[in-house]
Amino acid sequence: MWKKIFAWLDERLGLNDLQKNLLERPEPKGNWWNTLGSASLFLFILQGATGIFLTVYYTPSPDHAYDSITYIMNDVAFGWLIRGIHHWGATLMVLVVFIHMLRVFVTASYKYPRELTWIIGIGLLIATLGMGFTGYLLPWNQRAFWATTVGTEIAGAVPFIGEFILKALRGGTDLSALTLQRFFSGHIWMLPLVLAGLIGAHLYLIIRHGESHWPTKED
Amino acid sequence: MNEDTKKKVNERYQRELNKGEFFWPDSIFKDAIVALGLTILLILLATFVGVAGEPKADPSDTSYVPRPEWYFLFLFKFLALYGQIPVIGKIEWLAAVLVPSIGIGLILFLPLLDKNPDRHYTKRTMSLGVMTILVVDIVILTLISNIPTVAPDDATLLIKLSAWLQPYAGLVIPGVAMAALIALAYFAKNTSWQVMAWITGISSVLIIALTVAIMAFAPKVEATETEVAETLVDQIVAGQDLYSIHCVECHGDDGKVTVIEGVEGLEGKEVSPINSRDVLYTVNDASMAEIIAYGRPDSGMNPFGKMYNPEGLSKSEMDNIVIFMRYTWDDRFEAPQIPELFPPLADGEVPSYDVHIAPIVKRYCISCHRAGKDNNNYLMTTYEEILTTGDNVDSNIIAGDENSYLLQVIQEHEILDENGEVIIGVMPPKSVLKPNVVDVFLRWIMNGMPLTAEDAAALFTPPTLEVTPMP
Ligand code: HEM
Repeated sequence: MWKKIFAWLDERLGLNDLQKNLLERPEPKGNWWNTLGSASLFLFILQGATGIFLTVYYTPSPDHAYDSITYIMNDVAFGWLIRGIHHWGATLMVLVVFIHMLRVFVTASYKYPRELTWIIGIGLLIATLGMGFTGYLLPWNQRAFWATTVGTEIAGAVPFIGEFILKALRGGTDLSALTLQRFFSGHIWMLPLVLAGLIGAHLYLIIRHGESHWPTKED
Repeated sequence: MNEDTKKKVNERYQRELNKGEFFWPDSIFKDAIVALGLTILLILLATFVGVAGEPKADPSDTSYVPRPEWYFLFLFKFLALYGQIPVIGKIEWLAAVLVPSIGIGLILFLPLLDKNPDRHYTKRTMSLGVMTILVVDIVILTLISNIPTVAPDDATLLIKLSAWLQPYAGLVIPGVAMAALIALAYFAKNTSWQVMAWITGISSVLIIALTVAIMAFAPKVEATETEVAETLVDQIVAGQDLYSIHCVECHGDDGKVTVIEGVEGLEGKEVSPINSRDVLYTVNDASMAEIIAYGRPDSGMNPFGKMYNPEGLSKSEMDNIVIFMRYTWDDRFEAPQIPELFPPLADGEVPSYDVHIAPIVKRYCISCHRAGKDNNNYLMTTYEEILTTGDNVDSNIIAGDENSYLLQVIQEHEILDENGEVIIGVMPPKSVLKPNVVDVFLRWIMNGMPLTAEDAAALFTPPTLEVTPMP
């Protein structure tokens, strides 16, 4: 019975080919440092899942953001756990992505033919930091408000176009409801889409070129 | 890179593949274990460390010291140290924009800049060395990010040293070491990799040693923890305490006052009773908080927000007052069980300042007995003040004396001078303390005003039990 279903699906989806090409790919002998990329991917998915739960209650307005977080922490069943995981997951993801980059640097895996994998990786690093920066404002507490005030001010120091960047980030000269709405949109739509797209390209390139081998004296 | 090298790289890779493993199950297995470990770690962090509470954003509180997410701290510190450099330190965009942009540019195009096909570490000491120093620098900048960059003139020598060393650990040594590595790589091509490694190692150790010194000499800062009321009960209690301090004078402890009495400058003003449906049903939470923040100039209501007074109430505090009002007077809200102001006393038990007197004084007395109010100079915000201030300090609180002025006035006896003039009226002026509160004051003063719960427990005389002999 199962065999039949599998055969039917395989005929249409090419499951056997997928298995051969994706899963049973040969790789050089790996070690634990090679797990950091997939750990980054795992954390990205975990952040997505917990983040989606949080949007069920979170309200991006200065009047309600803070209270909606308090509500999630106190009154929603396991809300504290979901928010706690999302909060610490953000920190851990930055850390893991950074160490992943360091390991790729140390093993010189960014060299031919994996140059583009690295360049896309830097895009991923910047987008990950952007997620941290935009997410930090969302609880609309003192720490969030003033860190964002200073952070956007730094962007305002760019010569000539600083003023424009500052206003584009804040939605005006000061932090306001518009800033919160913008950061929220960036945090749940724009940056995750950028990340997902870049991760897709990153993974395609990794499968195409294969995991690099650990360099020895020969290399 | 020429075709030959490419071919060699690919052939070499093919050889590694032949003696390698498979993505499934070998790699996936390790990946899954790491994912499981991360999940467990996150659940533990969420459960046992949690997310620290913070007061609500308050745009008018400009005294707040901003702290970015921890992974941006190194950039902040870098900017602060850079600002110390004479002349170019004043051009902010150089450090805030140009240096990070160059950094990102270099790392983004690293594979195009680094054309050397070698991968083994002995053949890449320059880039590995520069990266090592960079990472060490980022870590130590993060570690020292909250140590003041400039010491005040009257600071001790060590604190000055702690500030003075920072630019060396954070900018000078890393800068010089990186420059040396790069110069050697380009101008002395046959420098052995050991020399480069030594330069990297020694400069890293130097940076770390300076950091240890900076951290050891740093001024000790006491962690100021802002308590944030997080549960509804805590918010109501916090709101009630604030209400008792800032609002009772005019609105009364039950919010019913319609004509203000006994408040300088507002005598005889008519106000709407803020415990009434008229007020509670027509003003929503946000407007209520705004009335507290901005006041109502025409009706005499003072503004309490920080935009008028840096010592004013924060956003969270004003919200808590509104929550207190709702759950106490608004009949659409049902209050949760609120714990008692102080634990009830057993027979013979002696109350302490910390556990009993402090919350009572906060609720009923501090509203007037703090600086800037008309109170015969009797302040009650701390234990010391309660015992040592006031025009009548000598007769106010006398250990073991029932005639202490304080005990008389809270039991509705005014203090008169020899001509029969009132020098201290009854307290609190417009309400009567409940008997169990008066009892706490009585026992406290009769037993010598213990400060801590331990002091009080030492004075505890358990009631003698009547032992009835067994028949
Ligand atoms: C959200 C962030 C990221 C995700 C989800 C991610 C994911 C992955 C995964 C799953 C792998 C294969 C397993 C491994 O080698 O660890 C990988 C490899 C790689 N990553 Fe990333 N990565 C991220 C960020 C970065 C960054 C910041 C860089 C560097 C700038 C980078 C550069 C590379 C390179 C060059 C490889 C190939 C390594 C090799 O073949 O040995 N990635 N990445």
